[in-house]
Amino acid sequence: MQPRKILVVDDSKLIHKMFEVLLRQYSLVHAYDGLEALENLGRHAEIDLILLDINMPRMSGLEFLNQVKANASFEAIPVVIISTEGKEEDTIRGLEAGAAAYIKKPFGNQELLEVIQRL
Amino acid sequence: MTSDTSSATSSSTARELERALERVRQLCGQLESERESAEIDLDGSHVQAIERDREELSSRLVEAEHQLGRLMNLYVATFQLHATLDPGEVQATIAEIAVDLLGAERFALLLRIEDAEGCEVALSKGLEHDVSGLYSTGVYNGGDALVDAALDDGVLRLGPADTSEVIAAVPLRVQEAIVGVLVVLKLFDHKAILRSGDRDLLDLLAAHAASALFAARVYANTDRKLRTLESLVQLVRGT
Repeated sequence: MQPRKILVVDDSKLIHKMFEVLLRQYSLVHAYDGLEALENLGRHAEIDLILLDINMPRMSGLEFLNQVKANASFEAIPVVIISTEGKEEDTIRGLEAGAAAYIKKPFGNQELLEVIQRL
Repeated sequence: MTSDTSSATSSSTARELERALERVRQLCGQLESERESAEIDLDGSHVQAIERDREELSSRLVEAEHQLGRLMNLYVATFQLHATLDPGEVQATIAEIAVDLLGAERFALLLRIEDAEGCEVALSKGLEHDVSGLYSTGVYNGGDALVDAALDDGVLRLGPADTSEVIAAVPLRVQEAIVGVLVVLKLFDHKAILRSGDRDLLDLLAAHAASALFAARVYANTDRKLRTLESLVQLVRGT
């Protein structure tokens, strides 16, 4: 089943704009840090995919991911980490925390679309 | 019917049958030969032509997707640069283009100081790891060959070179004047080199980054002066 509503969590307005253009076939919910993302997750029960940055103010992506995976209501939602942190240990850390995929910035549009379609 | 007549008739029938069989053999041979030639044609030239078409279409599709991605990056970058008149937000957008689209781990945005030598470091990231020391005081006074050349003639420089470790020195223009330079000092380890599509982004930054930043600064100054005047008018009216 295709994701219908995607939560985008990133402190970069540029990335939000890019997703608006690239993912126009999906309905997007926007958050600029982990705390705002948690609030939005509570408000939008139909979110079925999360695109998540790591380095953000207030609450980092990994903290947010831990909270999502610890919550029975949200734990099944697939999370794709999209980050400039490109070391192998960063990828392993993200996947071990429960991310379904890890994409490094700058990313190719096709790479992202393929991951979204796969999940 | 006598046995001789019967024998002659049988012999004649057998010959006819032999001729018919021979004709059938010839037709079978002919059909087999046509079938083989059809298979050779299908296995050979037609299939190869179809395969070539498929590969060409596939390669065109990949190229079109890359072009689309480049155009989308350019559109988004331009849109965001001119989406605000807040100098802080314009600077943040320049940083986001450098980091998220170019993959710059370490960079500095240098702007010429009015009525003075040198450039202010208006924006930077990762400079704490820069060993050159050229940007550490917040003012760049020259010293890197590629940066100095870009500031001098307004031509984009790509490095590193023998005399410079700079990855890219992007001259920033407002109208015809060179007002600064974006210096990319290091890319992320997972992005080894600048790709062909990145050149478009560097050109876009050269043309739009400084003008967006200057427009925002002019607006902010004008807005500040307007508020001061309004406060003075209110003060005068109140007294």
